Amino acid sequence: MALLTEALKKYIGLQSETETACDPVERGAVRRYAQAIQDEDPIFREACPNNARFGGPVAPPLYPTHLFRRAFGAPDPLQERARDPDFDGLASAASSGLPELEPIKHLALLNGGSEIEFFRYARHGETVKLRSRYADIVEKETSKGPMLFVIIETEYRNGDDELLMKTRRTQIRR
Amino acid sequence: MAMGGPRYFEDFDVGTALAVLEKGPLTSAHLMRWSAAMENWHKIHYDKPFAIEHDKLPGLLINGSLKQQFILQLLKDWVGPTGWVWKASFQFRAMNVVGETLSVWGRVSAKRDGPAYGLVDIDLGITNDEGKESTPGKATLALPYRGGKPVPYPFVPPQS
Repeated sequence: MALLTEALKKYIGLQSETETACDPVERGAVRRYAQAIQDEDPIFREACPNNARFGGPVAPPLYPTHLFRRAFGAPDPLQERARDPDFDGLASAASSGLPELEPIKHLALLNGGSEIEFFRYARHGETVKLRSRYADIVEKETSKGPMLFVIIETEYRNGDDELLMKTRRTQIRR
Repeated sequence: MAMGGPRYFEDFDVGTALAVLEKGPLTSAHLMRWSAAMENWHKIHYDKPFAIEHDKLPGLLINGSLKQQFILQLLKDWVGPTGWVWKASFQFRAMNVVGETLSVWGRVSAKRDGPAYGLVDIDLGITNDEGKESTPGKATLALPYRGGKPVPYPFVPPQS
């Protein structure tokens, strides 16, 4: 196994600390998000009969996964790497509260897919937090050469610690 | 936009196709709007010279993260206000580029009775103008029985 080294195997099972998104679920941010995905469902806008059982207006189903953004005062990667012609605009391959996989940080990253379970929506005004783990890292030989499949499991909860959703994402590194 | 009232478990058979959700043609402005909404600045979605010359891509890529939103919209709107989208999974098998119109499809592959609600398995995917599949996946939806209670919220998975 050329890519799956002992140093990389040590990341399997590693769990992040709980991370809280820097902003709560804001109505204006939900509006921009709903318009960007072209789904202006009334349940995302204001209290209505169809969101009564959810306790009022909610964010789109996958919104919690995109709520973990750069906080006030955090380093600005766009400025730090403004003179780097190879900078692709992504701060790093690290995500979901987990540290970067140092042994393979030079490898390209592709989004391989996701498995998601939903339990409740995030409501307007709620905070969202996550906790992740590197569930597995597997090397496979493909027609394009060896590739690593990095499996990241994440749980999203609201401020009352109620489970919103679980994701199991596959990152392909090569 | 979500349409219609509740959908009940008894109302359809295995093989039923969900109404196709069409998105597009998707322009660079659509992708820029999505990048801004989620604050993700990956250049392959809005910087055409970078995408083609640096990353050797065929054009500006439609974000996988945007395509998965479309799948969730299809499922959410189909289950209606008293059902629930329990599980969804998909793989990003092929690229879609700016200019394409995407058709998000789903088909009922199985139905299973439960004590409080019924479960519906769905095969799904996204095809482009040429009919090429890019995002095959599956989902499991919970729907109420006609005359029964809404699916519990927050969702309580069946005991296996």
